[in-house]
Amino acid sequence: MTTVNGRAVPDRADLVRMRAERHAKLQEQLDAQGLAGMVLLGTSAVAFATGAGGPGCDNGRASLLRTVALVVRGAEFPHLFTPYPEAAPSELPEANVHGPCCPDLDDGADALGHAVREHVGGGGRLACDEVPHALHRALDGASDLVPASGVLGAAKLCKTPDELACIRSAQRINELAMLDVQPLVRPGVRQTDLSARFLRRVFELGADTNGIDPIWQVMPDRKVDGPWTVHGGLAFPTPSSARVLEEGDVVWVDTGIHVDGYASDFGRTWLVGEDPRPTPRQQAQFERWRAVVDAALAVTKPGATALDLTRAAIDANGGAKPWIEHFYLAHGVGTDSAEMPMIGTDLGEAFDERQVLAPGMVLVLEPVIWDDGAAGYRSEDIYAVTDDGWMMLSDHPYAPFVAA
Amino acid sequence: MSEVAIEGPTCVDDDEVRADRRRRLFEAMAAHELDALILGRPAEVAFASGARQLWTAGSRPFGPAAVAVLDTGRVHLLSVSDFDVPPEVGHDDLYGLAWNPANLVASLAAIPGLRDARRVGTTSSSPGFPRLVASIAPNAEIVDASPAVSAVRTPKTPAEVSRIRAAMALAAQGLDAMAEALRPGVTERALLAAHAERIASLGAPLLPTEGVACATATSGAVRLRRVATDRPIEAGQLVALDAGAFFRGYEGGVGRTLVAGRDAPAGGRELAERCVAALHATVEACRAGATGADVVAAWSSSGEPLPPVPLAHGTGLGVEPPVIGDGIGAGSVLVAGTVLAVTGWVVEEGVGGHLERDLVLVTDGSPEVLTAHIRRGAPDD
Repeated sequence: MTTVNGRAVPDRADLVRMRAERHAKLQEQLDAQGLAGMVLLGTSAVAFATGAGGPGCDNGRASLLRTVALVVRGAEFPHLFTPYPEAAPSELPEANVHGPCCPDLDDGADALGHAVREHVGGGGRLACDEVPHALHRALDGASDLVPASGVLGAAKLCKTPDELACIRSAQRINELAMLDVQPLVRPGVRQTDLSARFLRRVFELGADTNGIDPIWQVMPDRKVDGPWTVHGGLAFPTPSSARVLEEGDVVWVDTGIHVDGYASDFGRTWLVGEDPRPTPRQQAQFERWRAVVDAALAVTKPGATALDLTRAAIDANGGAKPWIEHFYLAHGVGTDSAEMPMIGTDLGEAFDERQVLAPGMVLVLEPVIWDDGAAGYRSEDIYAVTDDGWMMLSDHPYAPFVAA
Repeated sequence: MSEVAIEGPTCVDDDEVRADRRRRLFEAMAAHELDALILGRPAEVAFASGARQLWTAGSRPFGPAAVAVLDTGRVHLLSVSDFDVPPEVGHDDLYGLAWNPANLVASLAAIPGLRDARRVGTTSSSPGFPRLVASIAPNAEIVDASPAVSAVRTPKTPAEVSRIRAAMALAAQGLDAMAEALRPGVTERALLAAHAERIASLGAPLLPTEGVACATATSGAVRLRRVATDRPIEAGQLVALDAGAFFRGYEGGVGRTLVAGRDAPAGGRELAERCVAALHATVEACRAGATGADVVAAWSSSGEPLPPVPLAHGTGLGVEPPVIGDGIGAGSVLVAGTVLAVTGWVVEEGVGGHLERDLVLVTDGSPEVLTAHIRRGAPDD
């Protein structure tokens, strides 16, 4: 049986158990790092710490009319300040669910500062992800503020079986929606028509929120014909518009939705046509992509380093780095669409060598095969590191490169 | 490379609109003696740079996504490519995405004029941010620039109001899509699906939120939920609907309440009248010089409890200050040119809830209701 730290990944997550285990991990970190508490303002961080839901909002709305988490060391439950009390987890005691507090504005920040003093007390060290000026004034030097990334990063890095089940559920909805979108990909269709079908289907299928402007980027044959970039590499991803797709276009697809707080990450390469067939050169790109993924997976198991994966991927690509200059070979996914571990970034080889794979880590492998003159192939799949290797959390065909 | 088109919801905005915003921003920097301004929120970055960047949902931690330098008059932008970056932000003004903080510091340190800055404004901060600023502008004091940036963004030019109107027209079609799909047996989720599909099919693939489709309770306590359920809507339920869309970054939206099926519940018309009357009184108070307290008092004069959502908030490149409601924004002073989203919500046990949201342009005289032409449901008894 495939296990993660001795436990199977359930078909459906036990959300109450999942949230309790996340809270325990945060408490363990607060304790280990000598912190009195933690105030979180970022949407995905609050979702992780409290289980708070809410509609998917534009950044301006999500920043001004925020959900806020206050985690107090030693307390059984976190405090949640939210404009959306209907989406608070059922197990949170009423006394821990508060109205919205708008910490970016002085009135709201004063209310949050008061809550911090009441529940955490003064003088201790407080972890924070963001401190708007108004909140800084409201806290009035009462606490020593340190970055929350040390606590959150450690708690988020290795997922529990329930978290993996959530990621798989989100991915399944995203994939099912794409089965209905791909048949639309014909000459004359606009990028936004694909977004329209996609958004309709994900909401019908049970997505809580959409996470990103759905990307349907038409890749140029040659890099030089694409947008200028600071590093001379590929420009990806670029936002969508009413651009009309044409016969033979190579489209790189990238979308993400959220279910129970967890993100999906769908990536495929599609070809535009009434009955699209890859050319032999395009098929070879796909085969090379497959070889890179297989090489990375061959070394994926607990104890391997991120550097083992990048080396295997580069070897399988004839010595060239098979990923986008400003990104990575692989990234994690959780309540953020991209989170640690990030493998192959500008943090460098020494950093990658220190990243050691462990059960519960999630890898979204997204190598890119660029074949200048004939565009390239890019797809993404999601894997979890298990007790003795890996398991796949995504499951979607590679049409038209592999017959469905 | 990047082509600046003049039409369409997702286009980079016109030269004049961009130039005007940029001029206002630099004037505010000069007035507040800010040598440099470090911006992190996408709306602020769009205001300063004019670039259209990839939209993602939610609030992210604050980081340097754009830097404006007073001395040089340049806006530097975190962007790997020049796709949808307008020409006044040149290739030399772009800096790339970095995961390694040392690489980010190197990019920022190379920005001409930043190193000598004495006062650096930011609109937010984080525990690690002062150290970052110290490494790129060693002699700088960090200043809260939120009031200055907010003051620049709040009063809208006629061109900006026209974009909000365009977004509102898209939102109105999203509302129509929900109204067309509304019938007994349909789910709230299906209404949101129809809303998203319609707006994206009009060439605007982003939503300010998923919108609201809330079938209100016909017995017991009535609450406004903004997270949809999968429960089938029943005949005679009052359904609060709220639609929104973006046009070139500017947000428009409208909220209305309709009945599922042909027969409204007894008392539905009275409820609608109460909501519209309270909203009308509130809108009338939205005048230049009025305070948030005045706006709240206008609503409360109706005798209705305050809505569980902000009674009014600014609208422009997304949601903006002021936020006015229960316990917040009493001291905010309205200025002419502000566009407010004003929300009314009243309930009656045994009947349901009624929501109306309008966009209101604050002027020196009578407020202008931008959404006035979008028909209210006014269910019949």
